[in-house]
Amino acid sequence: MSKTIVAENVTVGYELYRERQRLTALADITLSIDKGEFVVLVGPSGCGKTTFINAIAGLVKPWSGRILVDGRPVEGPGPDRAMVFQDYALMPWRTVEANVRLPFELQDHGLSKEEVERRVRHYIRLVDLEGFEKSYPYELSGGMKQRVGIARALVSEPDILLADEPFAAVDAMTREAMQAELEKLVAETHQTVVFITHSIDEAITLGDRVVVISYRPGRIKDIVEVDLPRPRFSYDVKALPEYGALREHVWGLVKDEAIRTARGAWT
Amino acid sequence: MSVTDKPTARVEAGPPRLQELEVTKKDLWREYGPWVVTALNLATFFAVWELIARLGWINPLFLPKASDMFAALWEGLTTTAGPGAVISGSIRDHVLWSLRNLAVGMVIACVIGIPFGLLMGANRYVDGLLSPYVWAISSMPRIALVPLLILFLGFSVQMQITVIVLSAVFPIMINAWAGVKTTDKSLLAAAKVFGAKRRQLYTKVVFPYTLPFIIAGIQQGIGRGLVGVIIAEFLGGSRGMGYLLQRSADTFNSPLMYAVLFVIVVVSLSLIQLTRWAEARIAPWRRLEGL
Repeated sequence: MSKTIVAENVTVGYELYRERQRLTALADITLSIDKGEFVVLVGPSGCGKTTFINAIAGLVKPWSGRILVDGRPVEGPGPDRAMVFQDYALMPWRTVEANVRLPFELQDHGLSKEEVERRVRHYIRLVDLEGFEKSYPYELSGGMKQRVGIARALVSEPDILLADEPFAAVDAMTREAMQAELEKLVAETHQTVVFITHSIDEAITLGDRVVVISYRPGRIKDIVEVDLPRPRFSYDVKALPEYGALREHVWGLVKDEAIRTARGAWT
Repeated sequence: MSVTDKPTARVEAGPPRLQELEVTKKDLWREYGPWVVTALNLATFFAVWELIARLGWINPLFLPKASDMFAALWEGLTTTAGPGAVISGSIRDHVLWSLRNLAVGMVIACVIGIPFGLLMGANRYVDGLLSPYVWAISSMPRIALVPLLILFLGFSVQMQITVIVLSAVFPIMINAWAGVKTTDKSLLAAAKVFGAKRRQLYTKVVFPYTLPFIIAGIQQGIGRGLVGVIIAEFLGGSRGMGYLLQRSADTFNSPLMYAVLFVIVVVSLSLIQLTRWAEARIAPWRRLEGL
């Protein structure tokens, strides 16, 4: 299978201007992701998962090492990548429709006006928001807002979908439903997905591979293959014995890191 | 896709999901009650005022009868008179004059305040260059500058409008600046991810985000501007609400003075209400997010 995202010895972080300090968020990350693969990154808060996804998106530049997307080094954001944000990041002054249309307004995707409108309608229908085209984000529930976020990310049909804890802010029930929907959507659109979460269950139910990242500076601690049948939500994989074993295994990897994070937060 | 948080369209059994409720007396009271209470409240206020004035407890020079005030108000609003005929009092002409100056001043304040505020927010060199002056003038009482302005411009309309501009421009500028500065980082990140160029970040994110801030600035600006109008008219010229106030006091025409005060209250309330309405129309999300 062809590799679509390749990270080679990526070290990246950010500068704290006021403190005149440089904080390494991620150290020496080497990872390749296949086309159409669903990769989930888990790790404690502050381990640099978000920084990594931002580097793939082209929002931050690696200090050393490089990230290739389809063989080309990432120079900045591009139409081949789209992102779903934890806090939805919807423009509050735009209707659902206008939010979903945003990628076409910001960048020329070489589509006719009619095609753009067709796409917008199609993806709004796909995330089940028909009838809410003219609503504003503040009129929607958290789950619905994130559907808008997902539609906006899918509408330009990018090869790569980046998701930064997209369901962290929605309630537990909606979250399960949204996970099922995302799995189904991605199965239809064949996107490569890089997905960040804190939830081990979410990681195992969604991912083909789960990448466990250690406490800061983040390094890849282990990569766990998830060999559960798809679609996971119709098989109810959570009831399978393998699921329990996987969960146990991933938790074993994450546990120490989580404890260190919690200690770090206290001191 | 499942339907998680969309209303269910079909319900097999049980009551319909949405039922029309009968309009009860309680509902009517909830809807119109506050208006009735306010009307009664005001009516009582003016009645008590009238009573106190009629009983002669207070010198009528200080407190005329409410009915006299309304009579003066009626006369002043229904007739026009030349600026010389102040004492017979055409409130209307003076109010229009003041409002015209306020409008001109507000337009100038917006034309200066909005672009400079945006620029200061967007560019830290411009910010560094201008902010000492902006903060200095905006924190001082602007009235202190009036003698200087009179020196420069005399008792002219230009002086009055300058006072209004100086009163109103800073809240507008500072609000625009704050809007740019506080623009949601994740909205900017989202726009960048979806391909926004630098210019688009401003037109598609920063400016729409800042717009309600600017409206709030204009709202404050109108309040300050009104102070500027009255003060400027106190000091010079022969027209306007401030002048009429001063003039009616000088001629012991207290019903007229109260009538002008009444008009000022109504005018400022209406202007503030107008900007509130504009804010609700342009940025409905702000009220709901409690920003």
